[in-house]
Amino acid sequence: MTNGSEKPYYLYLHVSFCRSVCGYCDFCHTVYREEAADRWLAAVAKEITEKKIRKDLLTVYIGGGTPTALNVGQLDRLLTLIDPYSQSCIEYTAEINPETLTDEKAVILRRHRVNRASVGMQTGDEHLLRLLGRRHTMADTVRTVEILRNHGIDNISLDLMYSLPQQTMDTFCSSLEEAVRLNPSHLSLYSLTIEENTVFHRKGYEHLDDDTEADMYEAAVRILAEHGYHQYETANFCLPQKESVHNSAYWNYMDFYGISCGASGKENHRRYDHTRSLRQYIEDPSAVEYTDLLPDDEKFEMIMMGLRLKRGMDLNLYKERFGEPAEARFGRALAKMKEQKMLEEHDGYLRATDRGFEILNEILVEFLDG
Amino acid sequence: MDQKNIRNFCIIAHIDHGKSTLADRILEMTDTVSERDMKAQLLDDMELERERGITIKLNAVQLSYHADDGQEYLFNLIDTPGHVDFSYEVSRSLAACEGAVLVVDSTQGVQAQTLANTYLALDNDLEIIPVINKVDMNNAQPDVTKREIEDIIGLDCSDAPLISARTGQNVHEVLEQIVTKIPAPSGDPDAPLQALVFDSFYDPYRGVIALVRVREGSLKVGDKVRFMATGAEYEVLEAGIRNPGEIRVNTLMCGDVGWIAGSIKSIQDVRVGDTLTSSDRPAEKPLAGYRKMNPMVYCGLYPSDADKYEDLRDALDKLQLNDASLQYEPETSQALGFGFRCGFLGMLHMDVIQERLEREYNLDLICTAPSVIYHVYLTDGTMLEIDNPAKMPDAVRIDYVEEPYVRASIMVPDAYIGAVMDLCQNKRGIYKEMEVIDTGRNSIVYEIPLSEIIFDFFDRLKSCTKGYASLDYELIGYRREDLVRMDILLNGEPVDALSVIIHRSEAYQRGSTITVKLKELIPKQQFEIPVQAAIGGKVIARTNIKSLRKNVLAKCYGGDISRKKKLLEKQKEGKKRMKAVGSVAIPQEAFMSVLSMNDDKRK
Repeated sequence: MTNGSEKPYYLYLHVSFCRSVCGYCDFCHTVYREEAADRWLAAVAKEITEKKIRKDLLTVYIGGGTPTALNVGQLDRLLTLIDPYSQSCIEYTAEINPETLTDEKAVILRRHRVNRASVGMQTGDEHLLRLLGRRHTMADTVRTVEILRNHGIDNISLDLMYSLPQQTMDTFCSSLEEAVRLNPSHLSLYSLTIEENTVFHRKGYEHLDDDTEADMYEAAVRILAEHGYHQYETANFCLPQKESVHNSAYWNYMDFYGISCGASGKENHRRYDHTRSLRQYIEDPSAVEYTDLLPDDEKFEMIMMGLRLKRGMDLNLYKERFGEPAEARFGRALAKMKEQKMLEEHDGYLRATDRGFEILNEILVEFLDG
Repeated sequence: MDQKNIRNFCIIAHIDHGKSTLADRILEMTDTVSERDMKAQLLDDMELERERGITIKLNAVQLSYHADDGQEYLFNLIDTPGHVDFSYEVSRSLAACEGAVLVVDSTQGVQAQTLANTYLALDNDLEIIPVINKVDMNNAQPDVTKREIEDIIGLDCSDAPLISARTGQNVHEVLEQIVTKIPAPSGDPDAPLQALVFDSFYDPYRGVIALVRVREGSLKVGDKVRFMATGAEYEVLEAGIRNPGEIRVNTLMCGDVGWIAGSIKSIQDVRVGDTLTSSDRPAEKPLAGYRKMNPMVYCGLYPSDADKYEDLRDALDKLQLNDASLQYEPETSQALGFGFRCGFLGMLHMDVIQERLEREYNLDLICTAPSVIYHVYLTDGTMLEIDNPAKMPDAVRIDYVEEPYVRASIMVPDAYIGAVMDLCQNKRGIYKEMEVIDTGRNSIVYEIPLSEIIFDFFDRLKSCTKGYASLDYELIGYRREDLVRMDILLNGEPVDALSVIIHRSEAYQRGSTITVKLKELIPKQQFEIPVQAAIGGKVIARTNIKSLRKNVLAKCYGGDISRKKKLLEKQKEGKKRMKAVGSVAIPQEAFMSVLSMNDDKRK
């Protein structure tokens, strides 16, 4: 794989603190305590120094958890740690929880060249927000978007959820309309997945039936298109030219740094996962679990990620990376899926058809067999 | 050992009343097994037996007991299986004894199996020693339990030992009563040999081992012996007892319980209930009570991975070495490929074999719904025996069909008579008679098609009587009924492994339940699948499995890859366990779905 010898151009940093815990979340999170966050910052500083990150990163993504759960001083210190590497970034994103953003924090973000914000709106329905365990209201989301714009961060993405317990087609569509009214440049739409180890799982919540979920998804694609948002990935929609550069790197199966407790990275045919325990991370920030990726793993994963893009997977890039066309490893699956009109080739890309796009797992399972 | 100092007995009890625990204590207290070697429930050899708490294969151990009268006694403790499928085996092992220890749990009192087993023991003229167990429990009611035994069974309980098999409390008294109450074996040591075969098993080095009880005469190593029912003759190469390890002896005397080996290749030669006699000086007639056991229930067994067909054959070969009542022959199914049609004594026997194949031989099986043998009379006057619904000829060729009926005797307390009658009626039963046995106990007799019994009759009987009813049944012959083959079609294609033979009057109801059940069990696929039930090409029920609209990971970013990949691998495993029939992938449970029909019928 030719990009393996180079250092990654993309960096993800995970802030595992939250001010409260959401019922559906199984990401790595810890309830925020100032003094724990201080020690965590010291560990992050150590990890970043040891990593010898390239200075000309293309994107940085600060995710969580809740990056804005940190207090102003801590947020400033965190972003200062990244400054040496982010000067030539074309996209610098921070995840924002509506209830935790203040003018001061927005100033700090902007000062460190953050130019994109991903705001966790989730839904416009106050009842569902409470059910999800969110601490914010729709008014908070509106205010947050306003603050960000006031401070010059106007490339804004909103996260929305569907297939929530008690959600109806009507409440979902009106949330969608409310989101669109805020004029975001980008929207992410996630159907609720109830993972083990979440409050929802323990409480026995269920997402809606498959048919309603599919109806909501299809309605969303239609409504967003009417407002000029095109779907460029399974769960992501944007105005022209506003695709997330950072996330597109994942879907194009590029290498990326993963920094901090709970983060994973991929460098040079190796995936690494940080511990999810804050205590362990603070003790030894460089302790990660490595997984060597064999060529067959990488071939599959590139397809698994690439087919999520509407444009599809770059067959030439595949050939360049692995020194063989996709047919060499996946001849059977490719032929079968093309025959079933699930996949097609277009302009040098392998992409899912309209039919295949919504049942991608069925396609990917075929590729697991080679 | 002098014949008058031998005691042959078994322990009988309702399930979980402490039979195996008492056996363990007896082994310990007679120093047969040191505490060090003791594992819980020693007599239940198989993993499956210990887990399910049932005894499937018999076992016999010899113990020596120094009684309070100063004399040394030799005890033979014979274990008994505990299920109606094996009631014949139970009756043969009881026939090998002179007495039975009846264990009743004093927290629960007399239960269904207590009764059934007691009656079996009485049929075999055994001396019964009632024992009240679990008296150390807080909720024990020994006096109530005693009175119940006296009232319901009519056994004198005035000196029944109150014991705790768990702690060993008063178990000594049980041993003493075995000495004083159970008679010594009666037979004549000089008469021609008559030994009852009450079990057999296969040993890879020595061939079939027969477990025998010497009734008359004696046998010794080197004797030429004959199995009277099968006619097979062998030389006794080894004889012995178990304690519970094997001990070889030269002679088995009159009254003894032991085993013999004689390079016997086929278990078919050694039938439970047969009589072993001497070739040179044969007995005039065999001991009473021999019955050849024939399979009553058939089903198809298929490896879910077609490559495992040979493995399945080997496993069945090995199981059959130990189990003369297991029958099988190769068959093929369009839907399931190569497999075997297997015959069993009953549903439990079938379950046990299936579980052993899966556990001990690590096979992943698909089982079709069980069937009985139907007699199909064709218009040309010939008769076919059909044990596989898929083999049922076209309706136009059939003159009429007969199915096996059983006479079912159900022992039930007053409170549940109505429920049992209701159940029997639902199962096409014909009421014959009802008899009051004791205060509060009744025996109800119905004639019921065997096919109705094998589905879920037993489970239903248990649940509608809270476990208080016991069931016994015997085949009474074939009767003409309006039976038809119902086919199930998926995506327009009949799936042979899902066909069933049913009574015409039930076809519509069952057809709808099966199609609805299949709709639940078969996951949505990429296209809509019609599910139909049809008789002779005429569709009587249908439903649709809607096509799959959405199956995609909600989100997938850089850090999610390994976790999401595992999720996909899980989906792949799920798919692998399904059988592709035409273009439809069917999960294994679907092939048993016809069994669940009666559950839904009542909802």
